[in-house]
Amino acid sequence: MLRRTTLREIRSTMGRYLAILAIIALGVGFFSGVRITTPTMVHTADNFYQRNQLYDYRLISTLGWEQEDVDALVQEEGVRAAEGANSLDVLFSDGEDGQLVLKTHSLTNSLNLTELREGRMPEKAGECLLDADMTGYEIGDTLTVAPENEEETLDSLTCREFEIVGKADSSLYLNHERGTTSLGNGSVAGFVYLLPEAYDLDYFAEIYVKMDNDDEILSQPYKDLITDGTDAWETITQAQADARYERLVEDAEEKIQEGKDELAEKRADGEQELADAEQELADGRKELDDAAQELADAETEITSGRKELDDAKAELAASAGQISSGEKELHDAKSQLDAAKKQLEDSLAQITEGEQQLADGQAQLDAAVQEMETNEAALDAADAELTAQETAFAEQYAQAQAMWDLLPEEQKAQLTAAQEQLTAARTELNANRLMLEEGKAQLAEQQAVLDQSKAELEAGRAQYEQGLAEYQSGLQTYQASLKKFQSGKAQYQSGLKQYQDGERSYQEGLQEYEDGKKEYEDGLAEYEDGLAEYEDGKKEFDEKIADAEQELADAEAELAEVEQPDVYVLDRNTNIGYSCFESDSQIVEQVARVFPVFFILVAALVCMTTMSRMVEEQRTQIGVLKALGYSEGQIMGKFLFYAGSASLIGCIIGYAVGCVLFPTVIWMSYQLMYVPLQLEYIFDWKLAMLSILASLLCSMGTTWMSCRIELAETAAGLMRPKAPKAGKRVALEYVPFIWNRLKFLYKVSIRNIFRYKGRFFMMIIGITGCTALLLTGFGLKDSVAGFAEVQYEEIQIMDAAAALKADLGTTLPKELTEKLDSLTENYLPVYESAWDIVMDDGKVKSVNVLVPSDAQVLQDYFRTRTEHGEEIAFPGEGEIIVGTSVAERYGAELGSTITLRNEDMEEMHLKVTGIFENHVYNYAIISPETYTAQRSISPEWNTLYLNFPENADTYQIAADLAQDENITNIQIFRDMQDRLGKMMKSLDYIVLLVIVCAAGLAFIVLYNLTNINITERIREIATIKVLGFFRKETSAYVLRENIALTAMGVIAGLLLGILLHRFVMAQIVVDMVSFRIRILPMSFVYSILLTFFFNFIVNAVMGSKLDKINMAESLKSID
Amino acid sequence: MSAFVEFQHVKKIYKTGELEIQALRDVNFEIGKGEFCIIVGASGAGKTTILNILGGMDTLTEGQVWLDGAEISAYNKRQLTAYRRYDVGFVFQFYNLVGNLTAKENVELAAQICKDPLDAEEMLRQVGLGERMKNFPAQLSGGEQQRVAIARALAKNPKLLLCDEPTGALDYQTGKAVLKLLQDTCRQTGTTVIVITHNSVLAAMADRIITVKSGMVAEMRKNDHIVDVADIEW
Repeated sequence: MLRRTTLREIRSTMGRYLAILAIIALGVGFFSGVRITTPTMVHTADNFYQRNQLYDYRLISTLGWEQEDVDALVQEEGVRAAEGANSLDVLFSDGEDGQLVLKTHSLTNSLNLTELREGRMPEKAGECLLDADMTGYEIGDTLTVAPENEEETLDSLTCREFEIVGKADSSLYLNHERGTTSLGNGSVAGFVYLLPEAYDLDYFAEIYVKMDNDDEILSQPYKDLITDGTDAWETITQAQADARYERLVEDAEEKIQEGKDELAEKRADGEQELADAEQELADGRKELDDAAQELADAETEITSGRKELDDAKAELAASAGQISSGEKELHDAKSQLDAAKKQLEDSLAQITEGEQQLADGQAQLDAAVQEMETNEAALDAADAELTAQETAFAEQYAQAQAMWDLLPEEQKAQLTAAQEQLTAARTELNANRLMLEEGKAQLAEQQAVLDQSKAELEAGRAQYEQGLAEYQSGLQTYQASLKKFQSGKAQYQSGLKQYQDGERSYQEGLQEYEDGKKEYEDGLAEYEDGLAEYEDGKKEFDEKIADAEQELADAEAELAEVEQPDVYVLDRNTNIGYSCFESDSQIVEQVARVFPVFFILVAALVCMTTMSRMVEEQRTQIGVLKALGYSEGQIMGKFLFYAGSASLIGCIIGYAVGCVLFPTVIWMSYQLMYVPLQLEYIFDWKLAMLSILASLLCSMGTTWMSCRIELAETAAGLMRPKAPKAGKRVALEYVPFIWNRLKFLYKVSIRNIFRYKGRFFMMIIGITGCTALLLTGFGLKDSVAGFAEVQYEEIQIMDAAAALKADLGTTLPKELTEKLDSLTENYLPVYESAWDIVMDDGKVKSVNVLVPSDAQVLQDYFRTRTEHGEEIAFPGEGEIIVGTSVAERYGAELGSTITLRNEDMEEMHLKVTGIFENHVYNYAIISPETYTAQRSISPEWNTLYLNFPENADTYQIAADLAQDENITNIQIFRDMQDRLGKMMKSLDYIVLLVIVCAAGLAFIVLYNLTNINITERIREIATIKVLGFFRKETSAYVLRENIALTAMGVIAGLLLGILLHRFVMAQIVVDMVSFRIRILPMSFVYSILLTFFFNFIVNAVMGSKLDKINMAESLKSID
Repeated sequence: MSAFVEFQHVKKIYKTGELEIQALRDVNFEIGKGEFCIIVGASGAGKTTILNILGGMDTLTEGQVWLDGAEISAYNKRQLTAYRRYDVGFVFQFYNLVGNLTAKENVELAAQICKDPLDAEEMLRQVGLGERMKNFPAQLSGGEQQRVAIARALAKNPKLLLCDEPTGALDYQTGKAVLKLLQDTCRQTGTTVIVITHNSVLAAMADRIITVKSGMVAEMRKNDHIVDVADIEW
């Protein structure tokens, strides 16, 4: 019967039942989920290690190992497998002009196995397995060993190219951390597995040992086993190394002896060769001296020949002058002669012409004389006639004169005319006679001139005759001179010819001499070369001998120095994946310690208030049952069953969901750092039992406590209504200033809030928890998401870092600095390399040691200030400043001295004088002086910090710089920021999980409390409804308390949230990254809003419940 | 006097699952303004149902209810609330004071939502509790509590005062005093007062007496010989 009422009870109060169930499910889910996450992850990793037989010990000897050593060690007790292996950091070309460093491992057969993700295992030396994490490479691609590798590295590999035949995960690399290297940019990009044949080494660098034990990783038995075994293994390893040392020393001594013998032999050969060469040189010298003498003689001869020729030449020149003057004389004489001849001929022609003219004149004169004689005759005749006529006319006229006066006139005129006529003719005849006389004188004169010309001509002809004779004799003399001149000229011509022949033969002689001289000089040069060669040869020989001697001496010294080999027995803690996993997997465990307590507390409170209310409600029924004679146990059983069944079901649901959901979500976020392993869920009986026990205790325990008080009352007492709880004033009422100003209804709410302490606390704790969780969740995101921003916008403010080619030394090449000056705003060469910080327990962690070339400007690239923003002084000599992560995790406190060690086991001891804020990687900064003082060498700049001009295309500049042969790699910090930001996005899952849990918590608590509140105050609510409160006013009247309590819870929650956030952040330790513990203002806002949003939803649900309250029913009677 | 309150063929059926209970079959009555009316009847006769319907706390299945010319039965939920808020005052058998509020505050609780409430302190003084205003209900006797309840109902200055067995939980003398208070209130303020009681003796003090039997009005009469409460003995 009781069972039936119980089941009916459950059905009718489903809301309440589910509230208990849900809070238990939530509590258990959170508790078990968080608890099981670490074991689940450990189990998953353990399976991975078991499958691939990760080593237990890694043995290293400074002398290396041989197969003999491996064979000996595998015989040791408890050893399942031992194998020798080699690993080598190698620079590979990355296809373009950059390089990347890959760690090559030799494949092992029995331990440290790999898991193929795709492809197949290598079958020959030129094939390899590539790190499955590396993107950008496909199966079938070829990896090329860069020629820039050290000689030793190149000699250690048999191939220069490796074809990728498979991609794999390695048990040596559980997480994505690949470690650091002294090569390239200092970071290992990934691993490569090669067949042992690919190594050209006659030793193993390390021996891996797997013990015959399968205890779970990180478990105490395993840790004990390893710790206990370490001492023994150190002894074994030392012994084995010593044996190897003996063998090595013997071999070495033998080799040195061989070397010495060979040196002696070589020395003898060399000396003989040198002596021969010396003799040959002496012979050559003598020959050359002879030739020099000969040349001197020839030179003398040539000089005298020259002189003779010059004399002859002068003589000839004089002769040539004489000849030419003679020739001129002759020529003048000839022209004189010719002129004389011409003169003579002209004279002759003149004479001849004169004679002709004379002859003609004579003839003419003769003719004129003739004519004259004729004319004289005629004139004599005429004169005679006229005398006749004049006689006749004188008669007549004497006659006519007698008669005259008796003669006519006419006859008279006629006799006058005729008388006149005879006078004229007489006059004319007298003129003519005169004229003839004149002509006759003229002719006589002409005859005289003619006679004189004839005489003159006769003299000219005589003169001509004399000139001609003179000319004839001159011509004769000229011809004799010409003949003489012609013979002198012929003589000169033959002299000239003789001289020219002499000159030609002289030139030939001279040429011969020059040739001889040249030949001699060549011979001399040859001789000198020979001599130099001999000197060089001799020097080289001496050097070589000295070198060989030195080498032998060194070898001997080295051999002497090689004392006992040092050995190192390393366990899995030195494997970066393993040790990171250990610390990472602890995070959840740390967090797991706080949260569950909180959830269980809330669960207990929820159960308690719910159950005590239920018991109270059923007071009368309890009384009746008691009156009917049911035992207390039976009555209590009903309630215990109610609470117990709810919590059991809740527990099972919570456990099942929690154990799957939590590890899954958390593992999802770990996937970013670890090999993607399939999570293997585990069922933990102990935890399950613990969960059930805790949930039952919490539900049934509280029920029992609530019942116990009620059951103690008598049946009658129980059946009487319980006196209503008296109203009480609250402290605030005594502050009239505030109280009187409060609206009346607020006063009611305030009183109500403080009326029930249990509920008050449950509500406050629930809401506080909800807000705190939300704030923690959002804060988690803020801290994690923000660290990259802070790191690259406030700390490492440079734009990029460029890795320099190795061995550039302490000064940058000029062409690089020129390029940098033109492309960048400014730059700073630094030394940056990974060193191990040695912690107290001997564990080592990698720290980036930074040595800036100029301490003054470091702040423009890398700001060092404390977390409170105070500047930190640059460390002096022997001092170091370290990043926050180094200080917090590796115990590098202010004022303490830390030890840094490099791969060559060199150590630096430095005093910590400052701790600067830093979130990504572990940084430590020292001055160049400190470095030089500690290592006795100056730091070599291997990295450049770069700042680009504002608004410049970063990628373009980076690409331009990357082309420089001195720069091997450029890292742009904005990229880093983006990448880290993306990586941390995974935390969204966890934040979401936290938000869901917080929401669940808020809902359950609010719902439950409001539910209780309403049922308890149903009469009050009915009353105010009757009084005419509207729907809204009614809800406000009841739910205002929720809002007020929520507000209080939120305030407490924000405070608690800040603490919780700090705690959780302190537990989350991701290697190489340390977060900035901060919560952004928006996260506060979100947390508050979300909490109120949950409140609002619950209020909305409850509002409708208020609506359904039936006033008439509720007020009818007291229940 | 015209009818202030009027019930016309009111029927009320409660349904719980398969079960149908006919609380009111066919109720018809009317009450005048300013009357002191007593509804008497045995337990389960339906008198509380009538009060609940009249008070706007319950709805009816059939019929009409009028108050001062308005049909209450046609009101929706919100109108009913407003009706309760402004027009009706309730006094319950178990007082139903809010335990967390002082006497004065309980009165204020009602007063502050009204249009023109009466002064809370004045009301308490009227009911004779001028000295106990700051006491919580738990610190008051039953009669005092009921008086607070009446003060609370009256503070709203309602058109109608509904009292469900106001003396049911009180001793004789106290009950008498409470009834006296109600009667005086009716007389002095002109408020229409309707009192439900199973005690028919009390009917003598009313202006109008309505007798209810099995969900029907058995009798409704005007009382011609109104007796003062002090003179009624039971």
